[in-house]
Amino acid sequence: MAPENDVIGSYFLELWRLNSKAASAAATATTSSSTSGMSAEDSEFEEAPTELDTVNSSGGFSVVGPDKLSVHYPNVHLHGHDVGVVQANKPAPSKRLIYYFEIFVKNAGAKGQMSIGFTAPGFKMRRQPGWEANSYGYHGDDGLLYRGHGKGEAFGPTYTTGDTVGGGINYATQEFFFTKNGSVVGAVYKDVKGPLFPTVAVHSQNEEVTVNFGKDPFKFDIKKFEAEERKKQEMTVDNICIPQNASYGIVRSYLQHYGYEETLKLFDMASKSTVPPISLVQENGSNEEDTIYAINQRKTLRQLIRNGEIDEAFRKLRDWYPQIVQDDKSAICFLLHCQKFIELVRISKLEEAVVYGRNEFEKFYRLAEFDDLVKDCAALLAYEQPLKSSVGYLLGDAQREIVADAINSLILSTNPNAKVGKSCLHSCLERLLRQLTACFLEKRSLNGDQGEGFHLRRILNSSRKA
Amino acid sequence: MSLFWIVIRQLAEIEAMATSKKVITREEWEKKLSDVKIAKEDMNRLVMNFLVTEGYVDAAEKFKNESGTEPDIDLATITDRMAVKKAVQCGNVEDAIEKVNDLNPEILDTNPQLFFHLQQQRLIELIRNGKVEEALEFAQEELAPRGEENQSFLEELERTVALLAFEDVTNCPVGDLLDISQRLKTASEVNAAILTSQSHEKDPKLPSLLKLLLWAQNQLDEKAAYPRIKDLSTAALEDPAV
Repeated sequence: MAPENDVIGSYFLELWRLNSKAASAAATATTSSSTSGMSAEDSEFEEAPTELDTVNSSGGFSVVGPDKLSVHYPNVHLHGHDVGVVQANKPAPSKRLIYYFEIFVKNAGAKGQMSIGFTAPGFKMRRQPGWEANSYGYHGDDGLLYRGHGKGEAFGPTYTTGDTVGGGINYATQEFFFTKNGSVVGAVYKDVKGPLFPTVAVHSQNEEVTVNFGKDPFKFDIKKFEAEERKKQEMTVDNICIPQNASYGIVRSYLQHYGYEETLKLFDMASKSTVPPISLVQENGSNEEDTIYAINQRKTLRQLIRNGEIDEAFRKLRDWYPQIVQDDKSAICFLLHCQKFIELVRISKLEEAVVYGRNEFEKFYRLAEFDDLVKDCAALLAYEQPLKSSVGYLLGDAQREIVADAINSLILSTNPNAKVGKSCLHSCLERLLRQLTACFLEKRSLNGDQGEGFHLRRILNSSRKA
Repeated sequence: MSLFWIVIRQLAEIEAMATSKKVITREEWEKKLSDVKIAKEDMNRLVMNFLVTEGYVDAAEKFKNESGTEPDIDLATITDRMAVKKAVQCGNVEDAIEKVNDLNPEILDTNPQLFFHLQQQRLIELIRNGKVEEALEFAQEELAPRGEENQSFLEELERTVALLAFEDVTNCPVGDLLDISQRLKTASEVNAAILTSQSHEKDPKLPSLLKLLLWAQNQLDEKAAYPRIKDLSTAALEDPAV
């Protein structure tokens, strides 16, 4: 057996492992708000500010309310170093398009010197946001924007008792923006990278401000704003040219890759009758031969697996590709044996499953590569309703799909004309999507972890109408 | 901050980027690629979305069986939609209008522009078939009143009627109206309107993802040299030019 087959087999075992009991247990342990989904999605999770930080607040100049969402300045201020500044308990999350929060001025106090802004960690907690380096603030008494020093710039209107003021970060344009009573006041370039805390300050007697980190609805329509920003990005992307029929060709090669033969036939038939007919430029004739290698056999085996007819699939493989199933301890034989066992459990032939497991699993038990997965399979026997158990995933379509895809890839690898490398593992579509995801991740990591990632699932679930 | 400082800052940034552009070798990049997880189910859905939106109804049906992927729209509605599209593509505009109204009369009621374009296409087909009198009558009775509502409709109408003024229509200044592309344009407009009326996106997701890939690569180019995909049809990685 070629070592290459081990690579392919192990690849599909890893795919299985992503769904396994251990993997899902690990996923729920790391994220408190667990959403079912890929592990990549979970790593995106960032904690957002929920309340004001009462530990690192300015030494006694201001008083944070017991709900930790309001701040009050009880004394008479004496100078510029007794500002009541409070940061949020967490920095603004950055792996997204927009972050936003609001304050409501309950009482403008003696002089109305409250402000809203963003400050870096280690900010000097006695100064207004904007007066010090790496801090930004929109001030109520003069409507000026301060960034990094004591001199403000003309920015927007002043604000006072009864006003709602918002501060946000647009990670796509690298801007801060501020709002007053539901309308945008203005935006300013964000020339700092790294974490930034939403910050509020009060600085004259009786000033009182409440903060809304999103628990209550915002006065400003942030959803609409975000949608408009996203639209702007989409327009730029839409203007990029791709070859006509590029999608068509990629879909076609996807159907070829996975051996969806029947679909392919109808797809080809339909595209001949469109107006105008779609023609793909074939650069060389041999290309076509390569890509639909053994498509009928691959289709047949996929159907057998999808129908749970594992014995028959085994038989066909021994007939057609004995080299693939020659080594009974290989990953592919392991996958097939497990699937057979799973199918027996599915139709409640538990005694038969026990016998089958005893006969076949023995040789895999002590192999580290299979150990955890054998245990998942065997665990099916412990439950009256295995589908609802922690190993219920084994009874899903996705498990059959893994087995079918593994066989498909192994057959593709027997093609003597196959180009070396990963072409038997990944379809062209998959390689493009991997590149797309990797580009987004790399772009973000080179940009101080700012901005959205790429999530196919999210895009599939969103519908973007006209 | 003054404009001067903005310029200085940007220049400094450009310089910093030029000198510190990160180089990612093929080996490193492939490691990153292999860490990406793309679910088979999601790819199937993407393909299904393409088949359904582009109207490959039979293929979509088969794909549902072969891959177990549920389409995001009732497959029966695709057949109706494709019948309308085909009718326009073949020049049977009256037939198409009737079919759209059977499907959902609101589509044309709420889309005056679409309705005008269909009527315009009908006029074009009459002229194409040499039915001069019928064309004139149709233009004056059906289209002119709509032109009064909307200036751009009126201009379009005048442009279309101008076809009658030329002996050799294929070489005249408005000859493009007789081109097959005009039919395709109208057909895709109807197609999009029907999809929208069915609360479905009018374009498949795959082409925008391909554009997004090229965009993301362009963006990353500013910060790093890494293996890129140039040819979408092969998805082959090309080594970075260092």
